[in-house]
Amino acid sequence: MNKILHINIFMYLLSLALPGGVQAQTPADGLMMERGQICFAALYTHDTWDEYWEGTLKRTNGNIGTFTRQTVMPMFALGLSDRLNVIAALPWVKTQASGGQMRGVSGFQDIGLWLKGTAYQHTLGSGTLSLFGVIGLTLPTSDYLEDYAPFSIGLGCPDFSIRATPQYQLDMGLYIRGTAAYMIRGNATIERDYYYTTQGIYSDVVDMPNAMSYAATLGYWLFDYTLQVEASYDGLNSFGGYDIRRQDAGFPSNRMNYTRAGMFIHYYPSFLPGFGIVAQGNQILTGRNVGQSTAFTAGITYQFGIWGTRETADAAN
Amino acid sequence: MKKKIIIFPTILLAFATLVVFQACDEDLPSNYAFDPYEFASLDENGGDWLPNLLTSSAQIGIPAPTDAGSVEFQAELASLKSLSAQLTGEQKAAVDYWGGDGLIRWNEIARELSAKYNLTPAPNGDGSYPAPDPDNPGNYPLFPFAHPPYSARAFAYWAAAQYDALITTWHYKYQFNRPAAFNADGSITTHLPLNNLPGYPSEGAVIAAVSKDILTAMYPLEKDYIAQKAVEHQNSLMWAGMSVASDITGGDSLGRAVGKVFRMRAASDGMKFAQSPRPVSDSIRDAAQARFGWHWENMETPTRPVGITPLYSKVKLWCVPNVVAVRPAGPPAPNSPEFQTAANELNDVLDNLTNEQRKIANFWSDGLGTYTPPGHWNRFACESIVKNRYNPLRAARVLAYLNMAMQDAGIACWDAKYYFHYPRPIQAMPGFKTILGTPNFPSYTSGHSMFSAAGAEVLSYIFPEETATFQNYSDEAALSRLYGGIHYRFDIEDGNTSGKAVGQDAIKRMRDDGGE
Repeated sequence: MNKILHINIFMYLLSLALPGGVQAQTPADGLMMERGQICFAALYTHDTWDEYWEGTLKRTNGNIGTFTRQTVMPMFALGLSDRLNVIAALPWVKTQASGGQMRGVSGFQDIGLWLKGTAYQHTLGSGTLSLFGVIGLTLPTSDYLEDYAPFSIGLGCPDFSIRATPQYQLDMGLYIRGTAAYMIRGNATIERDYYYTTQGIYSDVVDMPNAMSYAATLGYWLFDYTLQVEASYDGLNSFGGYDIRRQDAGFPSNRMNYTRAGMFIHYYPSFLPGFGIVAQGNQILTGRNVGQSTAFTAGITYQFGIWGTRETADAAN
Repeated sequence: MKKKIIIFPTILLAFATLVVFQACDEDLPSNYAFDPYEFASLDENGGDWLPNLLTSSAQIGIPAPTDAGSVEFQAELASLKSLSAQLTGEQKAAVDYWGGDGLIRWNEIARELSAKYNLTPAPNGDGSYPAPDPDNPGNYPLFPFAHPPYSARAFAYWAAAQYDALITTWHYKYQFNRPAAFNADGSITTHLPLNNLPGYPSEGAVIAAVSKDILTAMYPLEKDYIAQKAVEHQNSLMWAGMSVASDITGGDSLGRAVGKVFRMRAASDGMKFAQSPRPVSDSIRDAAQARFGWHWENMETPTRPVGITPLYSKVKLWCVPNVVAVRPAGPPAPNSPEFQTAANELNDVLDNLTNEQRKIANFWSDGLGTYTPPGHWNRFACESIVKNRYNPLRAARVLAYLNMAMQDAGIACWDAKYYFHYPRPIQAMPGFKTILGTPNFPSYTSGHSMFSAAGAEVLSYIFPEETATFQNYSDEAALSRLYGGIHYRFDIEDGNTSGKAVGQDAIKRMRDDGGE
């Protein structure tokens, strides 16, 4: 008899879409590792909300208070060739609420593996037009409980995504990028064999809605390509799923939507060759069945050649 | 070299995707899948069994049917014959779904409504809480809030009314002894297993009418949905070639008459006072404080001023003669050594919770938005009914005693809860955190333990070969509350003892009802 009202939040999607983009090595950005180059990243995200959307109704909940989700995400991107990268990530998540008496949880979430290729790249005017394609798969790694909103570590379902990312970058360093991904989700399996969505279901299997994520980004390379700054607007739309009812608990198959604005910088200090520093902020603007989260990310990246590399001097750093 | 590197992960990804998504897009079951079956027995003497609320199986009268040889009956048979000869896809689906008497389906509908309405009111902006209003059920918060006491009562009325109605049905079936349509005319196309029950009145029509009557009273906003279900059910009996129109009309009026008798009991059983106003609730709390030196408090933010149904203990019992007779001895005083042992255990269990314990806590949680623990036990009962191919009268007997016992268990449990008014772990153990939400009523004894012990006791009596399973379910459901962090072990153990005593009172009644 859960008296506490729960709600799922969007940050499950961190490993699926890496929303907002932690650049230089993500599925959603416009950068490619060259052949034999590898980039490691370690990122920490601190994400909080104290208001959320119960269906479309925005509210607070005294039994949640301020909800905090912290994520530590190691990841790497490897250039299999100049035009094909493989990317992998495994977030570790910790959740807690300032109100109520429910325990937070922590643990590894979903391991993600992406293949990213350059489908098209040509000079156009005084810039370059590119199109990147990505396929990816994320799989829950641990036996975390997805039916534990809003504390759950993840959605608990496999997720296969196809992404297209067009980008036009002027030689002077200004660029504009769009990206869209379609996410096909497998089932989640919960720990009870009856639940009510818009009807009772006699099964422990949850049919998860597919979803689409999208983003538009305006960026600029400054100081001889040592500082990258970006502003982005992105979002998520679920295809199907149901709204949390009044004072009901959240559930993995809720219809989770949001729009969000973000800022991002990536600095490559010249005194530390190969290293980069990442900082990012994101704010949810509108949502449905998600928390209105404010998230900050900080991290470091380290890039180096492991085989058959050309001179790395012409790489971004 | 370069190609190989590309191909390998691509194949791996494609393969993994195939494996993982294979299982997608299957239809998830919204009800229990079973094939309509031939009854293991007909219980021809069922009309002699003792009803619970009706004075006898002849209390409710129904008109005598037309004679089997009459022109009218022959015309009905002819009409049925053409009706069932060719079915649309929709009609066939309805026949398969209802499976004839439809008792299991109506039980599922009762569970569905319990789950749908089992939502606690949200606070107002000023920190106060609104309450459901039976006179304006459509105003938020919708009426009812089908919490466990409410749902237990709804199941009990539904099931007990079915049982009395079917005893009456059997009485008239064998009194009038008009053959069922398919036995009167072998050329009628039928779509369900046949039996030798006399046809008038139709047991399916009775079950539909009782269900409509009771469930509409319990869930008034579902009036149209329930009515549409009842019409479909009664029609399906004709589409199936099982009942002529007069069998259904007779069954319908019988069902409605029995439903009315049970609704009259419900109107004066004390439930309307169970959700007492704040001053009454406060006085109950103060009495406990004076008696024991402790009291329970709701720990939500904002605080809910009144717990769930403080006066449910005053609601009329079915089988237990006296609620105080099954009241447990009482919990240890907070901070006594015995309490400390229980608190230490809770801390230890929650801090080192295994996946297995977590699964048990969640599997049995039956919390908000679910059919509650009584609903869970109804589900088990229905599965055993199908397994044993019980006819609807015998099946209704199972559900009636199960649900009367569980409502009595609820009443007895709520008596203990508000008499002892014992603090929950989150109140008595500062800083303690749970993995299940703590319900809005005192701790001692555990409702899960009492519902489950009473339910297991009754079902084990009826299905002795499954005793070990039911006892195991009951123990697990009870312990699940400790793993969830919302009950002490003594809440569970004393609830279990008390629940068993309640179950025995129901069994005592069952032994003498003629249905052995």
